[in-house]
Amino acid sequence: MRLISAEVLKLVRRRGLMTWSLLLTVGSVLIAEIIVVTLHAVNPAHHGPAGGATNLEHYVFLASGLGNVAAILIGATAGTQDVSSGVFRDLVVTGRKRSTLFRVRAPGALIVFLPMLAVSLGLAIAGSFVFAGNLPNPSATTILDFIEYSVAITVIDVIIAVGLAAFASSRVVVGVMIAWNAIVGPLLLQISALGSARKAIDVAAAQHFTPPNVDTSKIAMSTVTALLVLVIWAAVFTNVGRWWTVRRDA
Amino acid sequence: MCRASRAFSVRCMETVIETHALTKKFGDRAAVNEVNLTVPAGVAFGFLGPNGAGKTTMIRTLLGLTQPTSGDVALLGLPQPAKRAEALARVGAIVEEPKFHAHLTGRENLKVVAAARDRAAEGRIAESLERVGLAHRADDRVKTYSLGMRQRLGIARCLLADPALLILDEPMNGLDPAGILDMRRLIRSFVDEGRTVFLSSHLLDEVEKTCDQVAIVDQGVVVVQGAVGEIAAQGDPTLLIEIDDPAAARTVLGGESRVTHVEEEGALILRLTLGDGLVPAEINRALVNAGIAVSRLEPARATLEETFLSITSRLGANE
Repeated sequence: MRLISAEVLKLVRRRGLMTWSLLLTVGSVLIAEIIVVTLHAVNPAHHGPAGGATNLEHYVFLASGLGNVAAILIGATAGTQDVSSGVFRDLVVTGRKRSTLFRVRAPGALIVFLPMLAVSLGLAIAGSFVFAGNLPNPSATTILDFIEYSVAITVIDVIIAVGLAAFASSRVVVGVMIAWNAIVGPLLLQISALGSARKAIDVAAAQHFTPPNVDTSKIAMSTVTALLVLVIWAAVFTNVGRWWTVRRDA
Repeated sequence: MCRASRAFSVRCMETVIETHALTKKFGDRAAVNEVNLTVPAGVAFGFLGPNGAGKTTMIRTLLGLTQPTSGDVALLGLPQPAKRAEALARVGAIVEEPKFHAHLTGRENLKVVAAARDRAAEGRIAESLERVGLAHRADDRVKTYSLGMRQRLGIARCLLADPALLILDEPMNGLDPAGILDMRRLIRSFVDEGRTVFLSSHLLDEVEKTCDQVAIVDQGVVVVQGAVGEIAAQGDPTLLIEIDDPAAARTVLGGESRVTHVEEEGALILRLTLGDGLVPAEINRALVNAGIAVSRLEPARATLEETFLSITSRLGANE
């Protein structure tokens, strides 16, 4: 637990990282709500209320899309900061197992990231009720589905980023993962010739958790399959990262 | 060697580092070659060698930062890597220059490393900062620290372990004269507490002033090890002569093959290195016979530097 606290300390003291992550998660939803509320207030005839189920969908996709970038930034930083600062060798000479030093990185990153995601989702959900006006409020099931989707798509990326960062620089990790999430993953999902092999893509597994009436292009799979795919992705990157951390010269 | 101090409460040991035929190769090149090293407890031990001699590789291998190609290592009497965690719990080390998270304060950096050590380590943070004279800057970010302050923070980080053994890689590097003096005092105070300090350096003068024992390493091989005085005495004898005509004296000495080195020490003073049983009286006789007035003839104590140069130049000549 003390090692995890140390990981949190190392991350939260990075002003730039914290500022950008807060902006991408909490800030993005807040700004979006302010814009939509203002537009509605200025011209209600052309711009509907800023809340309701439809706007919740927009806010959640904004929070999870940009929150995903924050997740990658935090995960990549957590995975590289000891090595890039040169402190890794000082931690190794304490006698602590390298696998332990690696294992605490992802929990530390998640402790930093998840509260930001929670606040941004909280703002999105609250806004959907407060500013609903004459629009229907989102149901509890819809809200739960959106929370599951946001957590799935971001948490898996924190874990993957930490694993990848064991053997690549944070810039490479951030670049590769944003490209995967924004371009390569969605592109692969569009290739119908890949058939059910697309279920193995983490993005597809995370999309499974969106509400049924949202994103009709998602690949059909059971919840168990979706969870299994995400767990396998997490396990693969965690084990590769740990293997390299144990093997490398400090 | 057993003292009541906590530094030796874990076990009473005669030697803190022992290696047997320790070898680390990079491809065909041996950075550490069949090294047998014995570091006794309770001393400052200098690991002396020119740049590239294999000092840092040796330290990295001792600490398990890189795997040896062959050979055995024991730290604090515990075989490595089998009892690595147990041994390193009582070892503090700085490898190469001390590195930190620059965005954290000095105190926070110590917290990070204390978290990887036993629970008592966190309680030693304030005391360690005080000990190295950084208490007043403990809450400043490390990126504002000078190199000397970073070296001291590195020592404070070592103290979190309440170490029986400190391994310091070139601890005087980049320090100004006052910083070097402080570091020397700090190292000696650790030895006075019963701790062992193993320090690598290419600064001969510093090793001679700071250490009780020394091993000289060159090209991955430990050439000699023992007490500083004993090793210094192993060099060829030297002689200071004061004469009225240094140029003529050099000509005379040039004809004596057993004078291995002549160096100017002052306007009328030469330092001679004598080899093969040559005694001062023979030098005196040769100079007087050549009509040179000798006003001073003084055997000089060999310095560690002279011994070091003599040993390493011999190695170079044997290649």
